[in-house]
Amino acid sequence: MTLLVNRTVIAAVGSVLDTLLAAGIDLPHLCKDDNLAAIGACRTCLVEADGRIVAACATPASSVKAVETETERARKVRRGVLHLTLSMQTDTAPTERGGPLAGTVAETAVRAGVTDTPFNRVSGRAEDPSNPFFSFHEAACILCGRCVSACQSLQHISAIGLAGRGRGTVVSPGAGDAFRDSVCTSCGSCVAACPTTALRPKSGGAA
Amino acid sequence: MPADELPPRFHLLTRLHDALEREGSVSREAVAGVAASLRIPLAEAWEAATSYPMFRFELGKPSETRCGGLSCALNGAAPSRDPSAGCRFRCFDAPVDGAEEPFPEERICLAGPLLADDVGDWKGLVTAQRQGTDAALDVIEAAGLRGRGGAYFPVATKWRGAIAQRRPIALVVNAEEGEPGVFKDRALLQRRPRRFIEGLAIAAAVLRPTVIVVFVNGEAAPMREALTGALRVSRALLPVEPLVVSGGGGYVLGEETTLLNALEGRKPVPRLRPPFPVESGLFGMPTVVNNVETIAQLSVVFRGEAGSFRSLGTQDAPGTKLFSLSGRVKRPGLYEMQLGSPLRELVEHAGGAIDGPVAAVLAGGPSGGFLPEAELDRLLLPGMMHATGAVAGSGGMVVLDSSSDLHAAVLAMAAFNADESCGKCTPCREGLPRLLSALQGSEMGIGTDDLLEVVGLGSLCGLGQMAPGPIRSARHFWPELFA
Repeated sequence: MTLLVNRTVIAAVGSVLDTLLAAGIDLPHLCKDDNLAAIGACRTCLVEADGRIVAACATPASSVKAVETETERARKVRRGVLHLTLSMQTDTAPTERGGPLAGTVAETAVRAGVTDTPFNRVSGRAEDPSNPFFSFHEAACILCGRCVSACQSLQHISAIGLAGRGRGTVVSPGAGDAFRDSVCTSCGSCVAACPTTALRPKSGGAA
Repeated sequence: MPADELPPRFHLLTRLHDALEREGSVSREAVAGVAASLRIPLAEAWEAATSYPMFRFELGKPSETRCGGLSCALNGAAPSRDPSAGCRFRCFDAPVDGAEEPFPEERICLAGPLLADDVGDWKGLVTAQRQGTDAALDVIEAAGLRGRGGAYFPVATKWRGAIAQRRPIALVVNAEEGEPGVFKDRALLQRRPRRFIEGLAIAAAVLRPTVIVVFVNGEAAPMREALTGALRVSRALLPVEPLVVSGGGGYVLGEETTLLNALEGRKPVPRLRPPFPVESGLFGMPTVVNNVETIAQLSVVFRGEAGSFRSLGTQDAPGTKLFSLSGRVKRPGLYEMQLGSPLRELVEHAGGAIDGPVAAVLAGGPSGGFLPEAELDRLLLPGMMHATGAVAGSGGMVVLDSSSDLHAAVLAMAAFNADESCGKCTPCREGLPRLLSALQGSEMGIGTDDLLEVVGLGSLCGLGQMAPGPIRSARHFWPELFA
């Protein structure tokens, strides 16, 4: 099985995103976690497939014939989505303070040539330092859903969910509770999955 | 399949409604109690429950009952202070106040085969039963019936897709009808319930579903009442007892995978496709989701002589379609038109605009676009009626006249879409509020046309993809309003 990518035939594996990454083609993908099913929420892996803009993570490689990653339209929409994503972050703490993937958003933006956002930055302000091992900072959160997916689908703990709707959506333990008062087992999967500094490990378990 | 054979999560919405009924709002404790009794993790129940505008956590019942829809605004209603007040779906009576009321017969302004007198016998069903599944599917295919919820997907293709899975099938009827300006499904279920029941029985005879669910708009009490009444008397026609579930509000529930998540007690946000619902839908079953009007049209298809359904409409889009006409028009109400009719004909049937000539028609509501008078000869057909946004969609048409404030109408649609974004994907959640601010005069640092393109092409589901339409079309036809 092959796929025509930017007019070159390459081996097709899994999704269009899997195929592109396996071939060494760089494409932003902020909500697709190596260990989890595609979420399709961040819309940063948009490509042009058979003339349509699609999310590469959610498109089986076998379902399309030709993919173009660098058309003017695909680049423009990806750039716009990254601008909107960055505008959600008012807290840009140094990525060293986050989990292992905390630099993902910042590095992705730089690689895509996006250094700042033309939009006013607006974000939530919730902070939750209640867990002894990590803290949550909504002002860095891009609502990609990876932490929730890790908690619900990988660990089967379901300590957290995405409560509310629209712009009011927020990562929420239990029924709007603090992490400390939820069924969180401090496994760290959410921190490990977070592509920003929204979930930050505490060094040595101290605040 | 009885409801208690489905996974317990199926009952989440119903239990939340019970709590709302009991307490006037849904509390944290109520969600915790429901989650524990259904063995749903608390965070999952919470993320689902807090996604529905109807449950109004800690806010109690809406303080005002005035309609927040566009047709009411055009007809002199003061702007609603509370956007969650939403549409009362009596746009033909605008401006309206108070809860939903039964749909009046006299608002059926133009009846065709679908809205002609309610059926007296079940001869369409008898025909379908005699034919059996394969022959009946051929009849539906030959008739060219397409879905009437707005996407116009061929019904026979969808059904064959589910049957080809060779597993127990779920049939889900979408009676959410959450689009301001659309009241056709309410009218059908209340005024022609037997037409719908015959269609449902035909669908059940052909698909032989293991489970049938009808998902009803949570605030549409008269529709739910009419439906349950009709189901009671027609129980013997159906192989399984249909389960009726009330939603908790949200335009995005018109999107079929969102509706499936809602029925599974999950957060009502769109799923990725593939898998398509016919492959893996409700609790993984091959699932057919059809709109109320689509189901009712099956009765027309099977009652007529061969080819009679096709004698109306066009080759590619045969049959009639219900249009909900409201706004500044002389005879607002429900019109059954042949697909392929010019929009102008619909407006003329209704006696034209109230003050002066038609200024504009919003075709397709918040997911459609505005058309000026000069474009009214465009045809009511599947697909785009105009590249900038106008669609036949689910048939909601709002007329603006010389008294109407077009800019305010565009703002109302932009605000509605921003408010209805489920929040799952970034372009829709972050882009729509910024488009609204830009229309209100805020500086954005990026061109409005560019942001319209990002939201339209980048969003996950139809709500975000179509949301630019009202803004894009108005900017195209009336650039002076946005200078």
